[in-house]
Amino acid sequence: MNAISLQNVSHTYGSDTAQVHALHQLNFSAQSGTLNLVLGPSGSGKTTFLTIAGGLLTPTTGGVTIAGQNYTTLSKKQQDALRLSSIGFVLQAYHLLPYLKVKEQFKLVSQVKKTGNLSAAKLAEVLDMLEITDLLNKYPSELSGGQQQRVAIARALYPNPAIILADEPTAALDSQKVKVVGQLLADLAHQHDKAVIVVTHDPRLIEFADQIYDITDGVLTHKDTVQA
Amino acid sequence: MFLALKEIKKEKLRSGAIITMIVLICYLIFILTSLSLGLARQNTAAIKSWHVQRFALNSNANTDMRQSFLNDDQLGQLTKNEAVLGQGSVVAKAAGKEKLSAVFVGLKSNQFIAKNLQLTSGHPVRHAHEIVVDDSFQDKGYHLGSHLRLNDQKQRYTIVGFTKNAKLNIAPIVYGQLSTWKTMRGFEHGPSASAIVSKKASYRAQTAGITTYSTKQIINKLPGYQAQNTTFILMIAFLMVISLIIIAVFLYILTMQKMPNYAVLRAQGIPSKVLVGATISQSVLLVIFGLAIGSLLTAGTAFAMPAAVPMAFDVPMLAAVGLGLVLMALLGSLVPVRSVLRVDPISVIGG
Repeated sequence: MNAISLQNVSHTYGSDTAQVHALHQLNFSAQSGTLNLVLGPSGSGKTTFLTIAGGLLTPTTGGVTIAGQNYTTLSKKQQDALRLSSIGFVLQAYHLLPYLKVKEQFKLVSQVKKTGNLSAAKLAEVLDMLEITDLLNKYPSELSGGQQQRVAIARALYPNPAIILADEPTAALDSQKVKVVGQLLADLAHQHDKAVIVVTHDPRLIEFADQIYDITDGVLTHKDTVQA
Repeated sequence: MFLALKEIKKEKLRSGAIITMIVLICYLIFILTSLSLGLARQNTAAIKSWHVQRFALNSNANTDMRQSFLNDDQLGQLTKNEAVLGQGSVVAKAAGKEKLSAVFVGLKSNQFIAKNLQLTSGHPVRHAHEIVVDDSFQDKGYHLGSHLRLNDQKQRYTIVGFTKNAKLNIAPIVYGQLSTWKTMRGFEHGPSASAIVSKKASYRAQTAGITTYSTKQIINKLPGYQAQNTTFILMIAFLMVISLIIIAVFLYILTMQKMPNYAVLRAQGIPSKVLVGATISQSVLLVIFGLAIGSLLTAGTAFAMPAAVPMAFDVPMLAAVGLGLVLMALLGSLVPVRSVLRVDPISVIGG
């Protein structure tokens, strides 16, 4: 089943002579239980693709379906609710709230989305998998960059979203850590049945991907399907 | 509220700095309000203690009792709801004691003001050379039976009673008989009183040359009264505006620092109302903490303040001022709220 799909999506910034066509007639879908890698250089349209797939930007033309709902026809409030329940963002910049302890980062989510979050046991499992169980009572300022990233991933997983959108998750990581993050994303897809979409320029993640796409000048091309 | 409380708890130094500013402003506003109220009461305490609704003065007196003189014909026929009084400035002096500037108010013993005068000690005036004075005379060493002279008169007057709230235009009042006022002013064959006062709002003087005023009109015409009140109101209003600016600026800076964090939360679907609620709660909580500490300081000041300082700590009025500060906090938080509503989640995507 498609967790997310983009149909004939085009997006243009600016108007008249200052127009920039960021995406052209793009079609994309991601199924649950797969890790989808979208590779492209800077300026290729990766960020526009991610913001449209994540429901943060409405495409100039085309449709976006998230968890079976036509996202572009929803109200702002419904879009917020759908993002909270269905999409987990793993961003380059973690931006954990500095005045909340790790455990309170989850509490904030549970105050807004009161049902459907990970159970205490499931959360403990995720924390264990991410090796951050011992950090629950620490503030972000007491954590290393890597630990903050893993807390941000756990926060993204806590609402139990069907889709994980990762933005350059391995930027500035050495090869060893790329393997750890790549394996983690693959595990999320395969063991937790998430549709994981990773937008990156880092080819070191290819070995973990199920579907590989290339994006250049706003045109998305399916490159490969890796058989399990 | 959750986010606001957590931030205040974690960022103790920042929150403490804002709360300190608010405490100082609250304290200053409370003290100024109490001083303003205290001075206002000292201007009007006596008039309010008479419980009168109308004053009839000479039409040429410019609404000033000190300048008003009424003769017997102008007084006309009075009912039990009316009384006459004679007012004049005096200097009270007694051997070995400090001279005191005071207001002499001459009354008729059989009329309601003299009859209703609340004494804290002693007895009412019964003879021409007896006086009842404000309690503040006791602070200057006067007591029941003390003798004093008024202005340059040779006649000595005996204090037979003390009364509280006997202040007019900040000066303490010396109550005596109306005949004493006439003698003191040299009016044995001239004017009979300064004013007619009435308990009834419907009272209108019918005789020629007299104009009837409401108590409020008379109070507003007391020398310096309006200028003083306006000055205090302006100071308090400016402090309110300053508190609004401080809250708005501090919160704006704090909020701008959190924008990337808020952008991530918005991207994840945390509704704007949660972030707006956190901003408003933070503002209100900071002001409430500041108000609580400012109130304690004010209570301490009220306890320690010497009686000579004209301050009145009126809880309902201070509560209203406190509420005004909370409203300022709400207004001040609207500036950062505007930024929170405009936070763009896309700004944190794509590095």
